[in-house]
Amino acid sequence: MSDASPGAGEGGDAADPRRGRSLRDRLARRLRGRLLTALAVVTSAVLVAAFYYPVGTVLIEAVVVDGAPTLAVFAELLRDPFYFGEFARLFAGESPVAVARALLSPDRRLGIVGFTAYQAALSTVASVALGLPAAYLLARFEFPGRRTLRSLTIVPFVLPSIMVAVGFVATFGTNGTLNAVLAAVGLPPVDLMFTLEAIVIAHAFYNAPLVARVTTAAWESVDASAVETARSLGAGPVRAFFDVVAPQVYPAVLTGAALTFVFTFGTFPIVLALGGFQLATVEVFVYRLVRDLSYAEAAALAIVELVISLGVLLAYLRYEAKNTVSSRGVRPLPRKSLTPSAPSLREVVPRLGLAAYAVVAGLVFVAPIASMVLASVMGGDGALTLDHYRFLLDRQQTGAAFQVRPWPAIRNSLTFASAATLLALPMGVVVAVLTTRRYRGRKLVDAAAMAPLAVSGIIVGLGLLRGLVFGVEIAGWRFAATGAVAIVVAHAVAGYPFVVRTVAPGLEGLDRSLIESARALGASRARVIRDVELPLVWPGVVAGAAFAFAISIGEFTATVVLATGADAYTMPVAIERFIGRRLGPATAMGVVLLVVTGLSFVVIERLGGEHRGF
Amino acid sequence: MGSESGGEGADPAVELDGVTKRYGDTAAVDDVTLRVREGEFFTLVGPSGCGKTTTLRLIAGFEEPTAGAIRFSGESVAGVPPEDRDVGVVFQNYALFPHMTVGENVGYGLNFADPPKGMSRSERVDELLELVDLPDAADRDPESLSGGQQQRVAMARALAPGPDLLLLDEPMSALDAQLRERLRVQVRRIQSELGITTVYVTHDQEEALAISDRIAVMRDGRPEQIAPPRTVYREPSSRFVAEFVGDNNVFAGRVVDVEGDEVGRELRIAVVDVGGETLRVGVDEGVEVTVGDHLTFCVRPEYLRIDEGESRLTATVASAEFLGETTRVTLDWGGRDLVVRTRDPLSGEVVVGFDPEDAHVIGIGEE
Repeated sequence: MSDASPGAGEGGDAADPRRGRSLRDRLARRLRGRLLTALAVVTSAVLVAAFYYPVGTVLIEAVVVDGAPTLAVFAELLRDPFYFGEFARLFAGESPVAVARALLSPDRRLGIVGFTAYQAALSTVASVALGLPAAYLLARFEFPGRRTLRSLTIVPFVLPSIMVAVGFVATFGTNGTLNAVLAAVGLPPVDLMFTLEAIVIAHAFYNAPLVARVTTAAWESVDASAVETARSLGAGPVRAFFDVVAPQVYPAVLTGAALTFVFTFGTFPIVLALGGFQLATVEVFVYRLVRDLSYAEAAALAIVELVISLGVLLAYLRYEAKNTVSSRGVRPLPRKSLTPSAPSLREVVPRLGLAAYAVVAGLVFVAPIASMVLASVMGGDGALTLDHYRFLLDRQQTGAAFQVRPWPAIRNSLTFASAATLLALPMGVVVAVLTTRRYRGRKLVDAAAMAPLAVSGIIVGLGLLRGLVFGVEIAGWRFAATGAVAIVVAHAVAGYPFVVRTVAPGLEGLDRSLIESARALGASRARVIRDVELPLVWPGVVAGAAFAFAISIGEFTATVVLATGADAYTMPVAIERFIGRRLGPATAMGVVLLVVTGLSFVVIERLGGEHRGF
Repeated sequence: MGSESGGEGADPAVELDGVTKRYGDTAAVDDVTLRVREGEFFTLVGPSGCGKTTTLRLIAGFEEPTAGAIRFSGESVAGVPPEDRDVGVVFQNYALFPHMTVGENVGYGLNFADPPKGMSRSERVDELLELVDLPDAADRDPESLSGGQQQRVAMARALAPGPDLLLLDEPMSALDAQLRERLRVQVRRIQSELGITTVYVTHDQEEALAISDRIAVMRDGRPEQIAPPRTVYREPSSRFVAEFVGDNNVFAGRVVDVEGDEVGRELRIAVVDVGGETLRVGVDEGVEVTVGDHLTFCVRPEYLRIDEGESRLTATVASAEFLGETTRVTLDWGGRDLVVRTRDPLSGEVVVGFDPEDAHVIGIGEE
């Protein structure tokens, strides 16, 4: 055999580094290994202090009355037809047959919980119906502005819900743009305010883009060669669609539907503004009970809400685990032009359908925002005016101390959102790192970290109010936070799951050999996070920051609880206070919120861009 | 098994001692013992799932063994993380950091180790890029390079901190055949120039033969044979090695006679009955063979010659592949496939034969 010439090249020059530095190195290694653990501990501590503990103290009231554990509050709640409608009779021990018969009769009662589920189901159907054509358009057609439109589908999701509510009042209200248009063409006016329809459409505004997003992503990852294989084996285009494309798109549609149901089941500001108490959902009622100081009943109702939401999420997660196809579209399906290539039925009909869809989509997505802007510059007589903005300025200058003034609202919103983002980012990144590692119990960590998404914002707010703002005593020390601090903490807890969601996929998709290469070159695990993983997932971090900021600036539910009586009100709270009196100033404030949110996004994008390279 | 003497008394550069790696119930690496000598180009070759990549990852420190010990120059590396092992690793997909330039990639390891010979960082980067024939690529974006160029950058990056050991995990399997052949010459040249101990993983037996000082042919988590390429090719230790490395014709039958030194030949000859035909097979010194034994042997296609050789077989042409230099012809001999290589086209019935010394005994046993 020919032995390699073992010369004294560079390989030998790095003389025995292993031997000399072993003890110091071992110590350093141990410390570095603990860094991630330390960050995880801090994150857990924040979560416990800002979420689990406060929520726990509130929820415990449902089962502990006067210091004794009891299920009486629950039992009463479950048997109350006011909450559970005909189902309450089931819990009260009546036969399922009688209940089923009552449910089928026309004058059935659903109760608050039943109604909430019912409107959530309707909203889900509407969102899917409105989202699927958009997915079809975005995934299968090529047209100028397609990418922009695709990016825009994220916008409704981050729009402050109270602002959207104002937009819907401006569109569908008695004096809204819809009735103005109807009157102009000689049709009788419609009154959609405080109807189920208005709520469902507003929910579709929020969630249809979500359905469209996840479906488009799945559709784009279908490999064209799979369809071509089916076609060459004898399947027609329709058959190939149902056999090859649909099975890969279907799980994504279900994802969108499940999330829509959970979001709309816990809806609050939309229903509060568009439905009022006569169309109250569970969350609105929890709010009302809290206002009436019926904490035990509020807690019990919140637990019922939580159980239903988590039930749907868990059922969905089980389904997802079974049905996830991890195929990466090697070659996506080719996109078609929007202009038909031939005057055939197959070419023209889908495009006509999309044109009709565009009209509906315009009405649902564009009209509310446009109407809000329009209403903010229109007086009662229909003439253009800046009166509403002048009102805001007047209020700023001459408003009494107890009145809501615009500038503090803007300042508070920006301060809270910045602080909440700074808190949510490291939390989200740490949790993303923890949940993308493989170890036993990872699912549990994932679930515990994501729980804030499913828990009533009212309860979080109430828990923080009583736990943090009113203060807690631990081992003789009294801890109390101001309302502002509690709001920041609540916003960070609400926002960080979105940071996790934007950062985790990037981490998960990272090529393991990149990390291993860096380590073989001498980088410690922590150093690899800094040098390789963070820079590569940086776009996700920036997106997460934008999300956290947007969630904070639009957060209404917990804020309205925590801002009570304090001067810690934000723009959404200000809008809600204005909307109770007159629409004009509310729309003007809504436009201010829109502009501030938009500008903030630009700033975040710029800051993120600069830091990208490290 | 090839001899495992471990060199001239010095500790081997890398030593695996009874190393096992289990995932649940399956052992990806099963009780492997092997030694890589200082400066040696050592190749792990085998079909997918044979444990070769896992073995490499254990050496790199990306995985810890379930049992057994790994030693670098006689010192255990148990619990030493990859960043402290002074190894350079090149992956199949190159794993260049996409957010860094080529120069930053090559220089990355110099954040944690001083460049050798008192060089500055940029001098060292330039030197390495020079070494891999990409002298002007420092400011380029890795994704603007071809696959072969990326592979060379990955090589330069792995070598920049001056590691004691270079680990290559199928570094060429994503490249086309021509480029692969050119690159393996270059990899071998760089390795010899630096004299760096190298462990190379590949599933391509031809590549393994071409590039290595020694080869470990792996199967089901353990090496079947560890030996220099020529030995592995000419004297495979098992039927698996015989058939995995190159084309081969494997025969099995009963020994009907043993002709010893009395005939005046240097080689003892076993006369083997294979399917009614008696074939004469050379038996190496020290190999016990008696009449009645069941004997397995192989004859490489290049030693099966047309109308020549002491043992003759009559077969019919089943198929032929024209390869350029030669034609690979598959023959049907009583229901068994035989492979021969010829320059001239064959058809119909042909007689092929081989000499006893061109046959290699793989195994002897009672049936």
